[in-house]
Amino acid sequence: MRRLLVLALALLSSSSFSQESRYDRLRIMAPASPGGGWDQTARALAAVLREEGIARVVEVENVSGAAGTIGLSRFASAYRGQGDALLVTGLVMLSAIVMNESPVSLAEVTPIARLTGEYEVLVVPAASDFRSLADLTAALRRDPGAVSFAGGSAGGTDQLLVGLLAREVGVDPASTNYIAFSGGGDSLAALLGSQVAAGVSGLSEYAPHIESGSLRALAISSPDPVPGVDILTFREQGLDLAIANWRGIVAPPGIPGPSRDSLVSAVDRLVRTPSWQEVLARYGWVDLYLPGDRFEQFLRLEQRRVGAVVRDLGGVQRASASGSGEIAEMVFPGIVGVGLLVSGGLLLARRGSEPRASGNGRALGFVTLGAVADVILLEPAGFIAASSVLFCCAARGFGSRRWARDAVLGLAFSTGAYLLFTRALSLSLPAGRLFP
Amino acid sequence: MMGFSVAAVPSNLLWAFAGVTLGTAVGVLPGIGPALTVALLLPVTLALSPTSAFIMFAGIYYGAMYGGSTTSILLNSPGESASIATALEGNVMARRGRGAAALSTSALGSFVAGTLATIALTFLAPVLVGVALHFGPAEYFALAVLAFTSVSAVLGRSLLKGLFSLFIGLGLGLVGIDPLTGKARFSLGVSQLLDGIDVVILVMGLFAVGETFYLAWCWKPGEEDVLSPKGGEGFMGLTREDWSRSWPAWLRGSAIGFPLGVLPAGGAEIPTFLSYMMEKRLAAKPEEFGQGAIEGVAGPEAANNAAAAGVLVPLLTLGLPTSATAAVLLAAFQQYGLRPGPLLFDSQPELVWSLIASLYVGNAMLLVLNLPLVGLWVRVLLMPKPLLYGGILVLASLGAYSLNGSVVDVVLLYVIGALGALLRRFDFPVAPAVLGLILGPLAEQQARRALAISQGDWTVFVTRPISAAILAAAVLVLLAPRWFRRRA
Repeated sequence: MRRLLVLALALLSSSSFSQESRYDRLRIMAPASPGGGWDQTARALAAVLREEGIARVVEVENVSGAAGTIGLSRFASAYRGQGDALLVTGLVMLSAIVMNESPVSLAEVTPIARLTGEYEVLVVPAASDFRSLADLTAALRRDPGAVSFAGGSAGGTDQLLVGLLAREVGVDPASTNYIAFSGGGDSLAALLGSQVAAGVSGLSEYAPHIESGSLRALAISSPDPVPGVDILTFREQGLDLAIANWRGIVAPPGIPGPSRDSLVSAVDRLVRTPSWQEVLARYGWVDLYLPGDRFEQFLRLEQRRVGAVVRDLGGVQRASASGSGEIAEMVFPGIVGVGLLVSGGLLLARRGSEPRASGNGRALGFVTLGAVADVILLEPAGFIAASSVLFCCAARGFGSRRWARDAVLGLAFSTGAYLLFTRALSLSLPAGRLFP
Repeated sequence: MMGFSVAAVPSNLLWAFAGVTLGTAVGVLPGIGPALTVALLLPVTLALSPTSAFIMFAGIYYGAMYGGSTTSILLNSPGESASIATALEGNVMARRGRGAAALSTSALGSFVAGTLATIALTFLAPVLVGVALHFGPAEYFALAVLAFTSVSAVLGRSLLKGLFSLFIGLGLGLVGIDPLTGKARFSLGVSQLLDGIDVVILVMGLFAVGETFYLAWCWKPGEEDVLSPKGGEGFMGLTREDWSRSWPAWLRGSAIGFPLGVLPAGGAEIPTFLSYMMEKRLAAKPEEFGQGAIEGVAGPEAANNAAAAGVLVPLLTLGLPTSATAAVLLAAFQQYGLRPGPLLFDSQPELVWSLIASLYVGNAMLLVLNLPLVGLWVRVLLMPKPLLYGGILVLASLGAYSLNGSVVDVVLLYVIGALGALLRRFDFPVAPAVLGLILGPLAEQQARRALAISQGDWTVFVTRPISAAILAAAVLVLLAPRWFRRRA
């Protein structure tokens, strides 16, 4: 029913746009797993593009990993030259490219627009001695190591802000004591429990706690005061510091000029629709829309700034300036290595009492063949074909001689699983040629 | 009470039912957890009222916890790390024809634990969360040390082999970006390894795939090693002895699971392994462990479900997402314009209380849904082996691929599967490897965080009272059995 309604809406509105570019099919890649900010952006975009009839079918694909850089390199190679694909990107990807030494950078893809973002806030626990930003910066100048900042993953927006703040107050960014926590929840818990001196994160994450009085906001990272938010900006407090955790979209590298222009104008139409404004309000995103060329310019500047901060932070490797007893990143691996060697060595020394390795090589061979075939066939031939082969090989390994029955059952089973995942759960599996 | 009147509206009961059914289904499928399911359903559920949607999500969440134990017990293929401890004894029971009893005690244990934990959530949430906030990195490190002692319960016959397996897991846990510095370690230039080896891949590789490879290796045509399953016996599938051995384990499991679930960085695996160790230590016949002791299923399964309810405490009272599923639920709250956090109980009491009420309802539904299914599930073991193992491999590869949409994960799954087969062939226990992968990074990161905050002062671990107490408990766990033995 809902789908019909959307379709009807699409048909209705499409007639009014007959002059402008409309897409039969658009793909949006979210370089993160379902549920996160990039995924929400991709799915919200898809919904509005469909509702407004700018595109008839919009598919969202999730390729997660390494702060989006895996999605970026997949996007750049798989969709090269295709004018109907978009990738959601953002500040975090920009710094991850520098940090992970990603082979693909944002300079290669085609910038389309910056869309939304969120400002960062610097907070302290309610019981903290820091009453104001000035208190905190004074302590930072006295002994940078004594002010521990909790925030998200190393090299992310939160740490960039700490690096910029240190530079602004004349402290070596590499000497700041930044404690990276994995999830937003973990760093918030550390703050609420006063385990750390200060915290940095997006406004929405801290807002309920600022409201309830359990956290005190010292500054917000917006360039100008945000209406309705009662927090002073860094600039209002005399520090030239502004940063937004922005998100935008890019198109594949090497697309023709007209395709790019058509995408830019489609997005331009999108951001003016009431349904997009409604999405912004619902998620609490700040409208940071910058179209095509201006986004490209912004990207170039932002890339230079992020690169400089990451270098300042010492490639984000903490200098041991703040303490001598800290464990460096290779100490634990050393312990594990020694443990492996010692226990392995002792085991080898006792060899001889072990049973000889003899087994059914034929059966194992068939199962291994199935596994190898699955890996090789999965992407070129698709999930159903690869899984059917895997199923038959495994069955043969366990003594089945009924090839025909196994093939039919394997095909049925794989098709069922495929349909369940792609249709009911809308996960993307390699389709191959069997199932368009 | 107000919550129940909302949750008991027929349409909401229907959503709860849809949720628990879907949850059980995704729990059975390897690699597909509740987090992914809820995330993918989010856009679809926008049409529902927030209350109905959350009632359904709660059903999925609890349902997945139930479903996860089924494959662990029957096929030795846990789909996620929290049901590994269940597989240890549960699968041995299934092989000896006691699959029905194992499934029944796990369903009943989940119900008991889920209900007790939900009661605790209803009445104790604000108190507990206050205590949980006293846990900082030093305390989490101590907790990881305590959890490491549970390795002693899963070592198998040879100490050395168990330790070797543990170190393999610790080593695999090092792969990927070091979260504290952002530097890549041991990722061999493969960008897909930058995020580390997913514990789900390791679990599916070592258990489901490793078991399949191993069985193929040892396959002798015509030989059957699984006893034909007996149907349920006694009351609700459990004999009088089963009941008397199960219920204390359920209670102990709940008591361990719930508080650890409340801790923001506790995780679901630690309570299950601690419960397994506790049951083994307290058992009247500890020699039965490894041979299919029913306490070894009842305790961890209860701990698992109680921890799952515990996770909701920081989510509802503080808006703290402390697990992947909780993070997705938080995103769902935001989608409806709700801001979970200290004010949610005041601003949306109807939603919160009907969500909690639906947890009671969902739990009861799950018991009703799962107990009759026990008889059906055990028949899975009667499937011809060629088809059974073919199916397991297909599902495992599907689960691995869908994690990140990458073939690299499927390759990794088979490589780890081959490693699992080798370990089994030479009689190494595989559970310590999984514990190593889970606990290693936790211990390392929390120790380094604690030292960074204290600026290199190692005494934080013993001067902070909670941390010192947990470390003392860890020492006690290691030394107490020896001390008792000497006295006896």
